[in-house]
Amino acid sequence: MWLGYDWRAAAVVDEHGNIVDSLEWDGHMTEHAVVERLRQIAAGQPVREAEELKQRFPEAVLCVHGDPQLPDADWPTPTSEQQAVADAAALRLAVEGVQAAANDPDRRLEHLVRGSDELRASHLTMESRLIEWAGLFFPMTTVSDRAAYVRTVAGSEDPAAFAEAMGIEVPAELPSDKEWRSLVEWAENAAQANGRLDRMENALRWLAEEHLPSVSALVGPLLAARLCVEAHGRARLARLPSGTVQILGAEKAFFHHLKTGAPSPKHGHIFMHPWISRSPRWVRGKIARMLAGKISIAAKIDAFEGQPWGEAEVAKVEERVEALREANKQPPSRR
Amino acid sequence: MGGGKKRRQRGPQQLSSAVRLDRRTLWTLNAVPGEAVYGESLRRFSGKEHRRWDPTRSKLGAGMLRTKGDPARLLPAQGETVLYLGAGHGTSVSHLYDHLCGAENRFGGRLVCVDLAPRCLRDLTFMAKGRPGLVPVLGDARQHGAWGVLLPTKVSWLFQDVAQAGQVDIFLAACQRFLQPGGTGLLSLKAASERWTGEGETALFKGVEDRLLEHDYVVEEVVELTGYEDNHRLFVVRKPEA
Repeated sequence: MWLGYDWRAAAVVDEHGNIVDSLEWDGHMTEHAVVERLRQIAAGQPVREAEELKQRFPEAVLCVHGDPQLPDADWPTPTSEQQAVADAAALRLAVEGVQAAANDPDRRLEHLVRGSDELRASHLTMESRLIEWAGLFFPMTTVSDRAAYVRTVAGSEDPAAFAEAMGIEVPAELPSDKEWRSLVEWAENAAQANGRLDRMENALRWLAEEHLPSVSALVGPLLAARLCVEAHGRARLARLPSGTVQILGAEKAFFHHLKTGAPSPKHGHIFMHPWISRSPRWVRGKIARMLAGKISIAAKIDAFEGQPWGEAEVAKVEERVEALREANKQPPSRR
Repeated sequence: MGGGKKRRQRGPQQLSSAVRLDRRTLWTLNAVPGEAVYGESLRRFSGKEHRRWDPTRSKLGAGMLRTKGDPARLLPAQGETVLYLGAGHGTSVSHLYDHLCGAENRFGGRLVCVDLAPRCLRDLTFMAKGRPGLVPVLGDARQHGAWGVLLPTKVSWLFQDVAQAGQVDIFLAACQRFLQPGGTGLLSLKAASERWTGEGETALFKGVEDRLLEHDYVVEEVVELTGYEDNHRLFVVRKPEA
């Protein structure tokens, strides 16, 4: 005996495909109500009619209509109006599903990380172009603080004002008004990009600390976000072997190693962390291997909602780093 | 050049009331006149606007141009209910809709299309707004329980184009549950999505064909899509009568 159901009816079928008993949904078929029912079925819960029939036939096996184990029976087909309501409900469900995806922090992190990379790249090229460009006319200026230099250009009405602000004489060759205008606008744009980059990275830090609290505590939110994006999501980061986490971002070197037998990369993005980049060359690999293991543990805590790591846990890892540095003070002998 | 059999030049051929094969280009009668779905060209034939079916962006379109038999047999009958797994951004789906449902769904067809990616569904839901009978579903092609109730009866035509490992198993499971006996199943197989066994693509495609034959499906044709879509084959399969 089987009990099949769909969003609008339930029926008990015997092994010969005869319908023994059936119940149709007598409620008001609105789009909203059908959405609820479709959602219920998708979650694996039987509809009300099915539960009622289950009480009458407790031995019947519950399954959704269309299930291969259900014997072929003369299932009542929905009318075209009913089908139209179901289709409208399906469309609503799809729209809601698309909306829910906007909530996915993995995707948001990806845009933030890639976007801030692009912004930084364009900001740096704009800044260096401006310094070269303005330097043509004012060869005597020295640039110690690049951001301040850009701001000074942006705030100068004319070349003379700039010369005064920099404390130099007005040079003989000066740009035309038009050219100076473009130069100043370029500087304004570069200065704005700087501010935008800061704000974007703040947003990125905030989201990474929400989404990956333990990894952020361990290696900082920016690196945590980058690892998560490179791994295509938090769930995947938590499932990656730590050897892969160690060289995430060093794919080129890794495949070169596989192809030609060149030395394998010891660190990818995690090189950014001062524990590795500020250590002597010969301990970096050891620290990277240990740190990648810890990142994997932290990522698992975040992905499976464990108690996030705090300062105590991070201090323990730092001790390990110190111990590794201490144990390897001298470079290994060349032989 | 020269020698061999000369390709017979055919005039425009009407594959259905909405699909037109004009030498090597396919056109479908636009169900939403004036609107191009993905930037394809629009052209009028005898006063009716058609959309050009780009074979490099649709494996169904490519299959119809590449098949050695009658291209019309790859299409479902107009006004049927069909299932499309792995709908993507809706390139194929939009043309299939033109054929199956027509403007304002005058043929009364129903096109249930399933895709896993919210990004793809965004385009599909947008497309579904002006196209009654097009039912987008955000779901996994393998988890029939979640959306199977939208198909109260078995379908006569099923298309699958999912880029994930185990495409044959997904196809066989879907055919068993949703395809009626004697119905047509089309499987667009992407070699790069399957595990590389080191025996080459030919062996992989042969293995797929064997799997289909094992389950008593009739493999009518294996269409080579190279040129339009590399490393893909389109398997045209008929489910045995019960």
